[in-house]
Amino acid sequence: MEELLFIRQDVLPALLRGLRISLMLIIPSGLCGFALGVFVGALRVYGSPWVKRLTNGYVIIFRGFPLVVQLFIWYFGLPHIGIYLTPFLASVLGFTLCSAAYHSEYVRGAFQSIKGGQRLAAQALGFTKLEMIRTIILPQAFRRAVPGCGNELIYLIKYSSLAYMITCIELTGEGKVIASETFKYTEIFFMVGLIYLLLTSLATLSLRRIEDKLRIPGFDNYNP
Amino acid sequence: MRAMGEQKEVLKVEKVTKKYASKEVVKEASLAVNEGEIKVLIGPSGGGKSTLLQCINFLVTPDKGRIWLEGKEVLHSQKKNLYEYRQKVGMIFQDFNLFDHLTALGNVEIALLKVRKMTKKDARDRAVAELERVGLRDHIRKYPAQLSGGQKQRVSIARALAMDPKVMLLDEPTSALDPELITEVHAVIKALGAEGMTMVMATHQIGFASHLADEMLFMEDGIIVETGAPAKLLLQAEYARTREFCAKLTGRYGETR
Amino acid sequence: MLEYLTAIGDALPYLLQGSLVTIALVVGAMALGLVIGILLAVGLVYGPPYIRALFSMYVWFFRGVPLLVLLFLFYFGLFTLVGINISAFTAAVIVLGLISSAYQSQIFRGGILSLPEGQLKAARALGMSDGKAICSIVLPQALRLSIPGWSNEYSIVLKDSAIAYALGVAEVMARAHFVASRTYQHLPLYFTAGVIFLILTYMGTKALRVLEERLRIPGYMR
Repeated sequence: MEELLFIRQDVLPALLRGLRISLMLIIPSGLCGFALGVFVGALRVYGSPWVKRLTNGYVIIFRGFPLVVQLFIWYFGLPHIGIYLTPFLASVLGFTLCSAAYHSEYVRGAFQSIKGGQRLAAQALGFTKLEMIRTIILPQAFRRAVPGCGNELIYLIKYSSLAYMITCIELTGEGKVIASETFKYTEIFFMVGLIYLLLTSLATLSLRRIEDKLRIPGFDNYNP
Repeated sequence: MRAMGEQKEVLKVEKVTKKYASKEVVKEASLAVNEGEIKVLIGPSGGGKSTLLQCINFLVTPDKGRIWLEGKEVLHSQKKNLYEYRQKVGMIFQDFNLFDHLTALGNVEIALLKVRKMTKKDARDRAVAELERVGLRDHIRKYPAQLSGGQKQRVSIARALAMDPKVMLLDEPTSALDPELITEVHAVIKALGAEGMTMVMATHQIGFASHLADEMLFMEDGIIVETGAPAKLLLQAEYARTREFCAKLTGRYGETR
Repeated sequence: MLEYLTAIGDALPYLLQGSLVTIALVVGAMALGLVIGILLAVGLVYGPPYIRALFSMYVWFFRGVPLLVLLFLFYFGLFTLVGINISAFTAAVIVLGLISSAYQSQIFRGGILSLPEGQLKAARALGMSDGKAICSIVLPQALRLSIPGWSNEYSIVLKDSAIAYALGVAEVMARAHFVASRTYQHLPLYFTAGVIFLILTYMGTKALRVLEERLRIPGYMR
């Protein structure tokens, strides 16, 4: 009984507070990461040779370095060159740049999978390059990129917990704080885990919905 | 045709029925095969020949029906009984189903090693002998993907023979082959027949089958409609459908032997 | 610049020792994940409904909860609760391995499902029990097909292993941070740590590509 009361009065409010911060991390990072990822992905396909080299280099580093290392660079490293970020901003920056690199992989693959004939057909109809990209290439590429980019979003939900390691107190952080005070590690981290599980499951379900909605009969979204 | 005499019943199938959803793919099919006999199933595609053959060694579990091998009923729900039975029944598939990760030799050896627990040396000797028997002495180290269709089917026959089967079930053994590769497989099957192997074969190669078969069974819509010696079935069948089917097939495939 | 280089040079031996710890973490986790992952995959494909439901729950759980939360849950919570006293290193290997097993099971499951049905049928027709058929016919093929996916999983586990720093495991990241907070050379040290991870990724995936080539079945294309 006392236990229940404790959970209701102390644990739940703290975890909900943490959840709010987590969502404030995930949503902007997810949106900016996707936008930047589309941009970088497009550059990697249609850019000039040195732009390609530059963007490929970006992707190698940001996919190759562990996310913790990247977060530490933004939070502990940047002050050395005079840039001071709050833990929250450093986290958003870190998540955005890292997930953009992953998104760009899927976006690049999607662009490359559009057959040359589509472009030729559009040109033959007198489309300008921009019109062609907007009305012919993007709608197809988008469908192909959705499964991969969706997965990336689910990863982001889980990896947002790393913000705690640079002292941004979100869901995991709040959990750690109460758990250390009360020594109820098992119960509290189980609850924290369940909240993440709920978020990732919701995201998975809605992504599946979106994929189904976008499906074109006979057009394989996964295998070009 | 073989001389009549004291004949031993090898395989008996009684009223085997298989339903998918509510459609009966095989309806109360019965047949009996004596030692050294060759029975050939003919009939239109989708008529249930393949399902019946797969039911006979329980790769597809029949809904009803009983099966005896050498007078002993097969209790397929008892795993040990089932595995022992399958060892004695050789199965040849339309699309060979060679194990893709093993060489020709490995394909023949694996059941000898894993199922019959033979020593490495014995298994190897036996496998080499069987591959020689089907004329593949020079190809034993090749992987399935490096063999032609006809060679693959011969490996699969060697694989079945190595288990000393009492009866062989052949499910359209040449249907997946290019026409020029059919002959080599037919030759192997013919040789088996000459050696007295008991066989049940489904095929569309009527010309080949009529020379080999002791008896032909016409199967349509899951039912064994008519049974008889090849000459009778092909030339003077009782049922109109059988006549129609045989007329079409002998017209089309009559020359293939 | 020179200052950066000396900072890196001084710390390098210490960081490289840490990379041995990182390698040990990853090898342990991948091996644990391999064993459990194979069991899960076989159960998910061939098991009875209740096994499939149970295994799906396992996969759902370990794929849906962040590594950091599971590290805390197991190391501070569960292990202590049941009275097992294990090192942070062992705890990290176990948690990384359990998560990886959930992902690996999906890779192997895909491999098994991509095999033609006739392979299992032919094995059964020879009188093999399902267990034997799975071990000597299905898995040798399915695992070969899984190597590219496994290589990808390796690079993920490798990067995730840096999170073991949160439990105080002295792997590359932890050491980089330790030195950095003493020498105040954060940028070059973190960068070096990152490059070490890049090199480990490259070496591992390269080795797996060699393995894949070695195990390739002649003439076989998919």
